[in-house]
Amino acid sequence: MDIFNPFVIALLAAALYMAWNIGANDLANAMGTSVGSGALSLKQVILVAAVFEFCGAIFFGKRVVSTIANGIVPLDNITMIDSHLVIVGMLAAILAAGFWVTLTTFYNLPVSTTHSIVGAVLGFGLVSAYHGIIPYSDIHWSVLIKIIASWLISPLLGALFAYILFMLVSHFILHRTNDTFAIEKKFIILQTMTACYMAFAHGSNDVANSIGPLYAGLNVLGLDSAQIPTWVMVIGGFGMVLGLATWGYKVIQTIGTKITELTPTRGFCAEFATASVVVLHSYSSLPISTTHTLVGSVIGVGLAGGLAAVDLSVIGKIALSWIITVPVAALTSALIFTGLMGIGI
Amino acid sequence: MTKREYIRSVLSIFAKSPFRPLHVHATKGGDAVRKLNEELSAYFACDMPTVLRLNNDVDTLEHEADIIKQTIRAELSSSIMLPVHADDLLNFLKPQDSICDECQDAAYWLTLRDCHVPKELEDGFRELMSRTLATVEMYELLVDTLSELLESSFGKKDVEETLELVSKVEEMEHQVDLMEKQLMKTIFEKEELLDGGGVYFFVELTKNIGRIADRTESAADRLRTMVLRR
Repeated sequence: MDIFNPFVIALLAAALYMAWNIGANDLANAMGTSVGSGALSLKQVILVAAVFEFCGAIFFGKRVVSTIANGIVPLDNITMIDSHLVIVGMLAAILAAGFWVTLTTFYNLPVSTTHSIVGAVLGFGLVSAYHGIIPYSDIHWSVLIKIIASWLISPLLGALFAYILFMLVSHFILHRTNDTFAIEKKFIILQTMTACYMAFAHGSNDVANSIGPLYAGLNVLGLDSAQIPTWVMVIGGFGMVLGLATWGYKVIQTIGTKITELTPTRGFCAEFATASVVVLHSYSSLPISTTHTLVGSVIGVGLAGGLAAVDLSVIGKIALSWIITVPVAALTSALIFTGLMGIGI
Repeated sequence: MTKREYIRSVLSIFAKSPFRPLHVHATKGGDAVRKLNEELSAYFACDMPTVLRLNNDVDTLEHEADIIKQTIRAELSSSIMLPVHADDLLNFLKPQDSICDECQDAAYWLTLRDCHVPKELEDGFRELMSRTLATVEMYELLVDTLSELLESSFGKKDVEETLELVSKVEEMEHQVDLMEKQLMKTIFEKEELLDGGGVYFFVELTKNIGRIADRTESAADRLRTMVLRR
């Protein structure tokens, strides 16, 4: 593989931008809850996130990367017909997802990077089918349905798990003490562990959002390897940590200062539930939104009576973002692809 | 949404807790009753400038309490999930707010008549006022326990502690009731020391101070419903 090939450079740059975005916002959200309850300082959180995000991405991220790279659209089939299409298509997909995520971030909409990239890759598949390169039936609709179902199930699972966890914590610990303050203090230690778990989980699932298309593109460009090479995963981990360190710290600070309700016991339950659900999905090769799962978990703690006030109107916004993101990302991706091909790239 | 920041966050899931403003609101009621207590002493000392000043203070407190009440209500949209029923919370806010209202009425009432008070009535009123104040202060302690309830997520012991304080408030209010009846009796016994206006003034004052304790008891009762009906 020629590292100076302009396509390689373009793909790497686009994937890094996407990874940066994920680190700056999603990872920051996942970690912010630990700062909010005072479990970790900002510097500690960034350090913990860097180490465990990397570990999650490198050791547990490959399954979801394969799903994005080959599970939704049979890129191998397209490669056999015209490999160039795949390179341009993957570049278009990352650019489209990156564009949508950037736009929605400015408007603070709860859009998932995962949903965006899945939509964008699907867009490339659809435009290929439109041009008759592959039949529509070649798109792995069953996988897509499974993925979309997991988007619905993951926040629900997060809510259920967090609900049960907080019920246990309150029944066996909080209700049996006269000194809740001391209990909260002890949970700070536990929460330090869940922060690591959370970063690991996030790395294992969300690394695919930038690395999935990158790997698919590089594969065609002669990345001579049947397995996903570790260095590709490192790029994803690096990009996300860079995003956290250069921008995400602001997001963490904003969250940390405003979430005062989430005491260590509550934070522990929400984080542990979220991380477990995300890791479970990484294991099942399903790309899901960490942020949406976290929202589900927080609601779970709220349902268990653990929070003074939870605003459920965010559910509507999330549902809307689900409905909008996939078609918009798919369309944008198809348009960028057509545009790039049109100008002869 | 004035400044667009490049931030996508989960913050919107966390709504403002109504319990802190609720606590501040209860304190406004307590402060108002403490002012009224001072005002009554000033009235007995025939220090009318102080009476007028304290009446203004009570007005201010009542107004501040109103604003807090309105804010709590305005922020409690249907999408907000609380660990208690929102209806119960609003039902309890109402009598708590009335503490201030009744206090305001009594404070104003004191400014209406010149300060000619038979010595025989003074002690009775001092007693009624101090018992009412004690009831309200017990109620403030009761509201204090709400934060512990939230921290322990309504642990059994904390709920019991809260319910115990509710009973105390109710018992103290009952004492105020008895005192009120006794004082009414005394007023008519001393009828000859007062003119008709005087009798009317003191009977109304007695009822008014009694109502402060009534509202306090009612708020405590609703608070119990809120805690139990979760």
